[in-house]
Amino acid sequence: MKKYLYIFKSEIMSNLQYAFDIFVGFIGYAVHIFIFLNLWEYIYSDPNELINGYSMSQMIWYVIVTEILWSALNGRKFNRRISEDVRTGNISYNINKPYNYVEYMLSSHLGITSFRFLLVTILGMVLGYIFLGSFPEISLLGIICVLISCLLATLISIFLIIGLGLFAFYIEDATPFYWLYSKMILLLGTIFPVEFFPTIIQPIIKYSPIFAVSIAPAKLFVDFSITTFLETLVIQLLYLLVCATIVHLFYKKGVKKLNVNGG
Amino acid sequence: MAVITVEKLSKNFKVKIKEKGFKGSLKSLIKPKYNIVKAVKNISFSIEKGEMIAFIGPNGAGKSTSIKMMTGILFPDKGKIDILGLDPTKERKKLAYSIGCVFGQKEQLWTHLTPYDNFKFFGAIYDIPESIVEKKIEELRELFELDEFINNPVRNLSLGQRIRCEIVASLIHEPKILFLDEPTIGLDPVVKEKIRTLIKRMNKEYKTTVVLTSHDVSDIEKLCKRVIIVNKGQIVLDDTMENLKYHYLNKKIIDAKMKEKINLEDVDGITILKDKDYNLKLEVDLKKKSISDAINLLNTDKIVDINISNVPLEEIISEIYKDGDK
Repeated sequence: MKKYLYIFKSEIMSNLQYAFDIFVGFIGYAVHIFIFLNLWEYIYSDPNELINGYSMSQMIWYVIVTEILWSALNGRKFNRRISEDVRTGNISYNINKPYNYVEYMLSSHLGITSFRFLLVTILGMVLGYIFLGSFPEISLLGIICVLISCLLATLISIFLIIGLGLFAFYIEDATPFYWLYSKMILLLGTIFPVEFFPTIIQPIIKYSPIFAVSIAPAKLFVDFSITTFLETLVIQLLYLLVCATIVHLFYKKGVKKLNVNGG
Repeated sequence: MAVITVEKLSKNFKVKIKEKGFKGSLKSLIKPKYNIVKAVKNISFSIEKGEMIAFIGPNGAGKSTSIKMMTGILFPDKGKIDILGLDPTKERKKLAYSIGCVFGQKEQLWTHLTPYDNFKFFGAIYDIPESIVEKKIEELRELFELDEFINNPVRNLSLGQRIRCEIVASLIHEPKILFLDEPTIGLDPVVKEKIRTLIKRMNKEYKTTVVLTSHDVSDIEKLCKRVIIVNKGQIVLDDTMENLKYHYLNKKIIDAKMKEKINLEDVDGITILKDKDYNLKLEVDLKKKSISDAINLLNTDKIVDINISNVPLEEIISEIYKDGDK
């Protein structure tokens, strides 16, 4: 465990070297939030009106949180790192070290994401406060619960992305899987809360990984209750367990197929 | 005592083949065809503790595949590997604590961190207590002369400095065997020499067994006492460097500067390699002709200067590669 903490720490130390560059990289995040703010302001003729149970302020905070999770994760780069590692044979240099590759990647990317999460959360909260003039009503306990949920969401996301990247053991280019995954998250888990979808597909979304990795923490932040948190916690922990097990098994099977070309 | 024993090791790769053109692409999509490439064919050898051996061969010979099987990265199809009493296919993690690897073309260091932070990181990875890591860093810092740059981020180091740090990072956990895969690639001659001296010193100080692959013959010549040459997946030579240099190819090279131009033609056992103005270069096959036969052929009275040398190791090795291809 100690070595994985060290990997996490080293990744933060390494990212601190270019914190400013990372911060500049969040310009895209600010633009997204600004677009959604205008969109929802246009849709909500009256800011106090409720659409599917959400006020305009809740809608915007919802998008701010889902976008924080998505931007902090930087999944596309991470997915590419994994599949390139496998495709080019670079994974070899991780295999002959006394750690598990999946856990190494988990610790490493958790380090990167934590640092990015801190930066983008500051930015998101400042933007939200400037645009909306107030924060959602949430207690300190609520904030802690949301942070726990964000952590679990990130862990599940990392496992899922590792899993998608490891398809490179079997096919030449594994990036289309990630592309599909990211579009599903964007469409079903980032822009609109689950209540905006047709009733028939709401349960599907609610019990899909999309809920665990994106919707749950955002929903908790805009409409917190301990009951919702506990429900969310169970779902997220179950997903974490399932994803971690599958990805570890997938790796164990895939690594035997490793084909390192060019020495 | 043997630290590495390899018995009848084989590894095949399945490679997709495609006929040429668009039609071929479609065909391979519907009915893919595969070719079996026999990367390693039934090789056996053993390496003793403290040995520095060169494991060489032309590109695609199977040397890196063999090394990757020895380090537990690839799974062999057939055969047995024993590294320090461990089976790399089953005890890879355990084995990792006893071996170190440096790949000249790959980076294992964190580029945004300093070498010092990197060494601490590797110490933690190998579960070494902090006080011991500090002591080890101190020791290696001196041995590898890292003082000047130990606190600069790795991304700002020169290639030579980085390779030194890569080697140190692989030595933090005191491995019993070190695999060096082209450690001097891309370095200038002065830095290459420095790295060689440091590797030699390390081998002497810690009795580390070194398995070296390199395309640079000087690396092999200056570091290793034994050489294993692989070609087309098979061992074509496993001998001492001495034997390789002086007995494998029984040939000498004569460079002579003459008073006047003389016309010579190849005779059995003496080949004219170069004949330009007053300078001649001959290769003498000592199994057929002696050095004095060659000198007599030149006419001693007309020789201004003469130099007799062994065939360069590089040529010997390429000769062996070519023999393997036949």
